[in-house]
Amino acid sequence: MFCTVYKWLISQAADSGKPVSGFVKNHIHRCDSCREFAQLCESLKPKFAQDKQAILKNYDEALSKKIISALPKERAPISSRQRSAGKLLARKPVLIPSLAAAFLVVVISIGVIFIAVHRSRDMGSFGHPSEWVSAASPEVLLVKAESPLETEYQELKKNLDATTKFLRSYLDFHIGPQTE
Amino acid sequence: MDRSLTVKHLSDEELASRVAAGSFSLFEELVSRYSARLFHFLRHRTETDQDIEDMVQDTFLKAFRSIDRFNPEWKFSTWLYTIAGRSAISRHRSNKKMKTNPTITSSIPGPEEIVIQKQESQNIWELASLLPEKEYEALWLRYAEDMSIKEISKVTKKKPVSVRVLLYRARLNLAKKIDQSAFSKKFAGTPVKHKLSFL
Repeated sequence: MFCTVYKWLISQAADSGKPVSGFVKNHIHRCDSCREFAQLCESLKPKFAQDKQAILKNYDEALSKKIISALPKERAPISSRQRSAGKLLARKPVLIPSLAAAFLVVVISIGVIFIAVHRSRDMGSFGHPSEWVSAASPEVLLVKAESPLETEYQELKKNLDATTKFLRSYLDFHIGPQTE
Repeated sequence: MDRSLTVKHLSDEELASRVAAGSFSLFEELVSRYSARLFHFLRHRTETDQDIEDMVQDTFLKAFRSIDRFNPEWKFSTWLYTIAGRSAISRHRSNKKMKTNPTITSSIPGPEEIVIQKQESQNIWELASLLPEKEYEALWLRYAEDMSIKEISKVTKKKPVSVRVLLYRARLNLAKKIDQSAFSKKFAGTPVKHKLSFL
């Protein structure tokens, strides 16, 4: 059952030229099938090299002559299409990051527009400022305009008082003119 | 005479660089070195020898036209085999479009006869040619061209691990073919080695 794994490891060893590990060696000594496979892997290289010469002999001359006679005497210029394809491939390292950056910009722009459209919908319609200016008295408008500032001021004052009280009690020193 | 001797001693990469520089006649040396090898590499792609020869010719024409794009830092064989693979694919696509019924003459042996002939052959490449196309090509690149796994993966446009799997399957299937053929007697006759090189 594990012979498939062992054969794979033997094949790997034949490719890398490195020796197989100890447990594979032990298995090869025990298993006939794997030993035969290891022997085959071993014998393939010299056998293929030897037989290659025999099969190449049959074709070499005639085919080479035929191809050489069909070759143009001068090198034809590369067609504009091939040239542009070549240039594009040569620029590939620059082209790919540029395309990625362009794609990112487009995605971000679409996202910003999408968010802006949604926000404006959520805020509702206000109409022209002159309409609500005329609808309210100047005093009311002044109070409305000043109220956030007033609230902020009160808040700051409260915080400052609290901080001063805390520091006085914690550090036990007196701020202001000496009473002694 | 001297010139031909010098040319014979030049590496493929040097020859290609010189062709790119303008010595077009040196391309003939590359053709004579690679035509038969490409023929055997592509023999699985089509049915007739004529088609294979056409594919080999296409490959050399393309290589000749684009030789100035060849990078001498890489092996010339890897570059040429990549072109061969691509042109075989494009030719296969165009053939598919205009496929007609081939006329079979009685002088051409049938597929069964070819298989028997190959099985009885004593040449291991003939036996390997009975394997599926991809497996045969991987074996050719590995053993005939002595390419590394990385180079084969570049030519075949496969991941290195896929090439390893392909070679593993090819070896397993070849072992089965050897068992079925006249080769098995030859292999059976060889004494069992107790010490293998990778053990």
